[in-house]
Amino acid sequence: MTALADRPASSKPTATKPPRDEDPRNPKHRLAALFDEGSLELISADDLSGMLAAVGTVQGTPAVAFCSDATVMGGAMGADGCRVVVEAYERALADGVPIIGLWHSGGARLPEGVLSLHAVGQIFAVMTRASGKIPQLSVVLGPAAGGGAYGPALTDIVIMGPEGRVFVTGPEVVRSVTGEDVDMLRLGGPEPHGRRSGVVHVVASTEREALDRARTLGSLLGAQGTLDAEAVADRDLGVHFPESAKRAYDVHPIVSDLLDDEDGIELHPRWAPNITTTLGRFGGRTVGVIANNPLRLGGCLDSTSAEKAARFVRMCDAFGVPLLVIVDVPGYLPGVGQEWDGVVRRGAKLLHAFAEATVPRVTLVTRKVYGGAYIAMNSRALGATRVFAWPTAEVAVMGAVAAVRILHRRKLAEVAPEVRPQVEAELAEEHQRITGSLDRAIEIGVIDEVITPENTRSALAAAIAAAPAGQRGSHGNIPL
Amino acid sequence: MAELVAAEMVANVHSVAVSVGDQVDAGATLLILESMKMEIPVLCEDGGLVSEVKVGPGDVVQEGDVLVVLS
Repeated sequence: MTALADRPASSKPTATKPPRDEDPRNPKHRLAALFDEGSLELISADDLSGMLAAVGTVQGTPAVAFCSDATVMGGAMGADGCRVVVEAYERALADGVPIIGLWHSGGARLPEGVLSLHAVGQIFAVMTRASGKIPQLSVVLGPAAGGGAYGPALTDIVIMGPEGRVFVTGPEVVRSVTGEDVDMLRLGGPEPHGRRSGVVHVVASTEREALDRARTLGSLLGAQGTLDAEAVADRDLGVHFPESAKRAYDVHPIVSDLLDDEDGIELHPRWAPNITTTLGRFGGRTVGVIANNPLRLGGCLDSTSAEKAARFVRMCDAFGVPLLVIVDVPGYLPGVGQEWDGVVRRGAKLLHAFAEATVPRVTLVTRKVYGGAYIAMNSRALGATRVFAWPTAEVAVMGAVAAVRILHRRKLAEVAPEVRPQVEAELAEEHQRITGSLDRAIEIGVIDEVITPENTRSALAAAIAAAPAGQRGSHGNIPL
Repeated sequence: MAELVAAEMVANVHSVAVSVGDQVDAGATLLILESMKMEIPVLCEDGGLVSEVKVGPGDVVQEGDVLVVLS
């Protein structure tokens, strides 16, 4: 801070800020921290436009990036800065590489009035035009308000650092309009967006970690690799399952063991945790894994989890990422809240997403799949590439005991209460034999093959390797 | 600060694994709920001291009902 005395402008109130070049929020430093060392090359003028753009590599993968200039007017966006972003997009589209936006912006530049709104709108338009064509990642490093909020929201994956805040209207406007007293953290910080709103896919605990996550995701989506089925060694995935078929368990160790040893990145881990969506490598190739998590809500599908999974399926399909669908689902979550929350409308998104997907997509039923959720979890009817089941899996409209309680209500009412469980069990066994057995599912062709937990990895790898490569959906990735 | 552990969904309380005064670690099972014909463990998120257990086996809990209070 001794340098302050030497500076002619030191009497100004802004003099306590470090010189722009030394400010850690300078976009040059942030872009340099994002790209591989020495790979950065600026593609826009280093001026006061409010945005800076560059090309470089992330984990060796070519990418384009732009960054708000938080040292000028709080990163506010004007016509010049927005042009930098639009040109960065043109470059990424021409090169066919991922684009990464680093955000720290209070929104549109007020002094420029409607001109700045028009310019921000042009960013939204180019993002939408690029949707589904090139992977778009956003890293929110500071406040991102108004236009700065919708920019990241239009992209495929949003990562948030500890200082990241996303909101349409800030605390002061909220207070003056609604009287609600709230600070930026509670309004739009990592907790509300990571857990409640679903705006943020990945929450990072430091700015460094946020940039590293973007680097990994850029590599996963930008350099997907090819699947080497020979390299997929088998290991027993059954060890993570409890003995009792009724007992819930955490699906994370199974997903982690299914993927290659390097860790994948789970998207939306705390929002709709009853389904998990993870990008990772399998036999060296990028895949998307969708898995019900019985530990949360019993693994039921509900409106939020269906929407989360649907968006993930469509993103993977747009970028040609094969899907592995790990199924253990008791059904849809019942309740007035769910129906009024639009479980029918939002659940339909998952049916639509799977049915339209053209990437190889392989399903594995580990324990059970019942009812409407059976159809939704990448069933044969929706066009699954291949459907596997473990030997003890149950595939049915509902659990056998529940089914016979409905089908044989009268008969059960007539027997004495003390023998009722016995009769129920007998009827359930018979019901199971006729309708719900795995043999029946194979016979009608909705399950292709029964595999064991010990040979699951190689079976899934072979199924993906056998599917036609290079397929991808021709659609955008609207933020469902 | 007290941490309230609430039920995620309508359920029967199957069993309670902790008592008042227990020190529990993050990830420990606090109780087991029964819903959708499944036994679903409720895990402790941050760890702490059990200061209150609000339910017992056989109780029916609604979504949002507080089950255990940690401090």
